[in-house]
Amino acid sequence: MKLNLAIDRRLRLKPIALILLFLMGIAFVVAMVRYASGIGPISDLSNAYPWGFWISFDLFTGVAISSGGFLMAGAVYILGIEKFRPLLRPAVLTAFLGYIMVAVALLVDLGHPERIWYMMIFWNHTSVLLEIGICVMSYLTVLAIEFAPVVFEGLKWKKLAHIFHKFVMPFVILGVVLSTLHQSSLGSLLLIQPTKLHPLWWTAILPVMFFVSAVAIGLAMIIFESSLSSRYFKRGLETHLLEKLAKAIPIVLGIYLILKFGELAFAGELRYLFTSGGMSILFWADILIGSVIPIIWFSIKRMRQSPNALLAGAILLLLGMILNRFNVSWFAVQHYDPLTYVPAFMSNVKYIPTLPEMAVSIGIFSAGILAFGLAAKYLPVFESEHHEAHAPSGD
Amino acid sequence: MTDIKHHAYLFDAVRCIGCRACMVACSVENNIEMDKTRIWVAGRGVMGEYPILERASMVYHCMHCNEPDCLSACPVGAYSKRSDGPVEYDPKKCIGCRYCMNACPFGVPHFDYDKGLIEGAFIDKCTFCPQRIDNGQEPACVATCPTDALEYGERDELLKIAHERIAAHPDRYIDHVYGEFENGGTSYLILSHVPFSELGLPALPEEPVNEISEKVMEMTIPFALGWGVVLTAVAAGVHLYNKKTETKAKPTETHEEEPEVNK
Repeated sequence: MKLNLAIDRRLRLKPIALILLFLMGIAFVVAMVRYASGIGPISDLSNAYPWGFWISFDLFTGVAISSGGFLMAGAVYILGIEKFRPLLRPAVLTAFLGYIMVAVALLVDLGHPERIWYMMIFWNHTSVLLEIGICVMSYLTVLAIEFAPVVFEGLKWKKLAHIFHKFVMPFVILGVVLSTLHQSSLGSLLLIQPTKLHPLWWTAILPVMFFVSAVAIGLAMIIFESSLSSRYFKRGLETHLLEKLAKAIPIVLGIYLILKFGELAFAGELRYLFTSGGMSILFWADILIGSVIPIIWFSIKRMRQSPNALLAGAILLLLGMILNRFNVSWFAVQHYDPLTYVPAFMSNVKYIPTLPEMAVSIGIFSAGILAFGLAAKYLPVFESEHHEAHAPSGD
Repeated sequence: MTDIKHHAYLFDAVRCIGCRACMVACSVENNIEMDKTRIWVAGRGVMGEYPILERASMVYHCMHCNEPDCLSACPVGAYSKRSDGPVEYDPKKCIGCRYCMNACPFGVPHFDYDKGLIEGAFIDKCTFCPQRIDNGQEPACVATCPTDALEYGERDELLKIAHERIAAHPDRYIDHVYGEFENGGTSYLILSHVPFSELGLPALPEEPVNEISEKVMEMTIPFALGWGVVLTAVAAGVHLYNKKTETKAKPTETHEEEPEVNK
């Protein structure tokens, strides 16, 4: 089978690009205000809610949706499944941009962004956040190395591209190890809140839950990003490959559900399933949209073979799993409630993210989308199968 | 200099009249801005029905845990635990990630949300007044308390006093010293006549909340190495297998895809 996956490379500034640039501009202005006058004036973060929208969206969601990169790198290079190669580069690009977005967002959220490199010299080995910091920095380097050949090919520096290509294997293995650690350690980050995180989510196996769900999210993300770019750039879609990925989703999510409910039963916490009011509703929304419906959806052959159904199923899974990340890192975290008299710094116990706060995340996300679009247009990201497309096509 | 081996506070909610003199003393001693404080006093308000009325106040403070969760959580080691009790914070190392605030089950560390990059936004919390206790003085809050609701001394002695006080007035006190075992033991001990939950104190087990997180962190490096070895072995195995099948399949040339794509 041979598909035309090539993209028209002429630059046309479409309104969507202008909108994205505008959103980036707003985020930049808000970030400058934050650097000048502090986190308080632009956000609703407080001593009762030290982490909010930025951590849930930029860090937890950003890292989760970047997991496609290590899945495809592992499948193609380590397991030698060559037929997935057309999906490799877009997945690595998504991961690379995703991690850059995480790093940029953290530079806004950190109290002392200029000290971020302290994580490289002051090591507190009991801190999960240290592991996350080291993993983000190292994995960004690995992703840059994995993606470098694409840039060099785009620049027609064939020799350099060839050298990077040849020595990519150790970095792929390092990348998979770092991703495994990193995806799971986001779950470990909440292990220290057994009294704050609702028992429907807090479990000692949070790191395992996070890793398994990250695999499902990565598969869905590859389907999502291939489908959208095929529509936007009007190129062919590798439906026969995406179908294979979709087939794996019910298995991964099945394991996830068994772990989830097994753990709840083991810990004797099944009673919370229907008795925790809003928390129960959030829990079931997260489980149904993120796991149960996608399992049924992708178990049906007709759904897996239809491009529209593939995309819709992937979107459902992603929405459910993003809700899961928000639940674990924000909605289900019950903060310490001071009593009737509280001085100003403890008074803000309700947290509703402000518009400027969200504008920062939206701006960074827009930059990611724009960068993906530009890279897809000007670099050999989407290759034709059989690799003839390595010879630069067209203009 | 003092010969106290484990500095500790004892707070008695029965004695506290909620005057907040400790807050003022702390701010003056440590030069804290007017709208911030390292101590905060919460009043539960008047409870019960006339004529049996009662009220309770609680002085919140850094608990100076024996196994501090802020220290466990801080990625850059800005926190340290002195061998004689106090938990210290070093603003020179802090990167402002606020993970300590998430980790602390008592919600103690707080952050300068109103400071930009130039002023510098830091964490603040009770330091146990090292400038005073290292010179044989009581911490400022204790020295100021008009009703001796706050006391200071050797932890073991304060525990003994606390249990004696409960034994002397079993009708007045709840038979429990909060902080004796909670979260691995704290250096801020609390006596109360109302349930501790009504003072806003979390119910905590004897193991510190950082226990599982630290255990998982201990497994990280061995796991990473093991996983790396497994992946390398799989990659090598697959590579060899593909080479073998490739040479075998060469004469017939039935392969749809080339496994090796080198250009």
